[in-house]
Amino acid sequence: MAVVDVHRFAESITCHAWSPDHSMVALCPNNTEVHIYKSLSQDQWERLHVLQKHDQIVSGIDWSSKSNKIVSVSHDRNSYVWSLEGGEWVPTLVILRLNRAALCVQWSPKENKFAVGSGAKTVCICYYEQENNWWVSKLIRKRHESSVTSVAWHPNNILLATTSTDGKCRVFSTFIKGVDTKDSKAGSPAETKFGEQILQLDLSYSWAFGVKWSPSGNTLAYVGHSSMIYFVDDVGPSPLAQSVAFRDLPLRDVLFISEKMVIGVGYDSNPMVFAADDTGIWSFIRYIGEKKAASSNSSYSSQFSEAFGKFYGSQSKSATANDASESRGRVHDNCINSIVPLSKAGSPKVMRFSTSGLDGKVAIWDLENMEQELGNQF
Amino acid sequence: MANSLRLYLACIKNTLEAAMCLQNFPCQEVERHNKPEVELKTSPELLLNPLLICRNEAEKCLIETSINSLRISLKVKQADELENILTKKFLRFLSMRAEAFQVLRRKPVQGYDISFLITNYHCEEMQKQKLIDFIIQFMEARYRERNKRLEGVSEHQRTTRCDRVSETVHVKQHLRYYNVTPHCINHSLVG
Repeated sequence: MAVVDVHRFAESITCHAWSPDHSMVALCPNNTEVHIYKSLSQDQWERLHVLQKHDQIVSGIDWSSKSNKIVSVSHDRNSYVWSLEGGEWVPTLVILRLNRAALCVQWSPKENKFAVGSGAKTVCICYYEQENNWWVSKLIRKRHESSVTSVAWHPNNILLATTSTDGKCRVFSTFIKGVDTKDSKAGSPAETKFGEQILQLDLSYSWAFGVKWSPSGNTLAYVGHSSMIYFVDDVGPSPLAQSVAFRDLPLRDVLFISEKMVIGVGYDSNPMVFAADDTGIWSFIRYIGEKKAASSNSSYSSQFSEAFGKFYGSQSKSATANDASESRGRVHDNCINSIVPLSKAGSPKVMRFSTSGLDGKVAIWDLENMEQELGNQF
Repeated sequence: MANSLRLYLACIKNTLEAAMCLQNFPCQEVERHNKPEVELKTSPELLLNPLLICRNEAEKCLIETSINSLRISLKVKQADELENILTKKFLRFLSMRAEAFQVLRRKPVQGYDISFLITNYHCEEMQKQKLIDFIIQFMEARYRERNKRLEGVSEHQRTTRCDRVSETVHVKQHLRYYNVTPHCINHSLVG
């Protein structure tokens, strides 16, 4: 089994992020707080901190691996950068200048900037201003015709990929004078100034989510709500795009395990493996967890009373959740909405990752003993 | 007949399974709001194509989906005047208790008899499979009860040997099947 550890932290989890040494996890239990848990031993977690500052649901958390800072964004239009000072997490307000909800956040690879996607159809690039002791934000206002659902940084710290509910995936340059140096610009295509759109991908007919770059930054992957996943090579003036359709429910997020392998998670609550063959053609390989047919052989009347009982609250929620997970034999039993790598930044392969979803569980997966099953795609 | 009902329900069930992929999504138009997009319809790009599943002209099911909410509207068969009244009263009885059902919409969509509104919050709290089962079993139970009621009516007519029975008697007679207290009956009759 590829699952190493599963723990149910809350009724529902919107997002989670790991500390640099992977001993602590920051997660939002579907409310206005961010909880930080420390792992004691197998399935033993202790809640160390509760970060309360937001006044609407927290939609994104990212924990920087070098500077040990947590950034959180919320539907209340605000963002905070939390730093650990003497055992306490101290928040710094970031002036995002947004007038709609913030939806997602990610630290850039160098951790001198972070990007926030928003429901205001804009992307904020935030950076630290030493003189004012202040995080300031620069907005990319152009182009997006709907909410920005996901952002991903290219390893070169300049290019930013975004997906939006208008179905497009776009790549922007985020070069900020005084923050980025000229040499870090090398490798990015052509002349780029802040906010310039490098590429617009128009592959999906429906909403797009979960964009990610491969470790080298050569390939881009994102998903569409029409049960499709898209792979784009040679991001630049003449990109090579591939669309892969699969049979099951749509995905929400993806993660590159290596240059040639991607894990997708979503409404099917079972991670899917996609891989590229030697010729670079991507295809669906298998599910990670064993997929069992949902049990529907229980007698009709009991199902009815069960379904009805739910509405009258005659059964406790946790009890029903446990029943279902046993009967269905899966790790997650609701939509998985985020997947986070558990590896050193910049390493070419991700052997461990974690998933969290609306069922309130965080599952840690290890691919070490999966290698044989998955064949030579690694 | 029973077979075609099973197909109709199976089709609705499969459609719901595919359509019920909802997520928390804040309003793009109004600050700090989070409303079911399928009701507001402010941003056309957040809506999916509505699906209409028909068993026949009198029985159909409309499934409208958006990024954070889903609306199911049912039109149920009403063969004659009597059934029309019974259905109306029954659905009214349910609609007035919409809170207890959580996913029931207080007012049906125009042209339909009953509507359910499922949001991402329902999907977070409850299991998707159970939600779908609830809708399907609700429909199934309604078909069963309808047959039972019709039998009951003919029985009643036979025993009282009345050709014309007043509407009130009918309704009172048949609301009995829902274990309704007299107060409730009055309420639904008068209201």
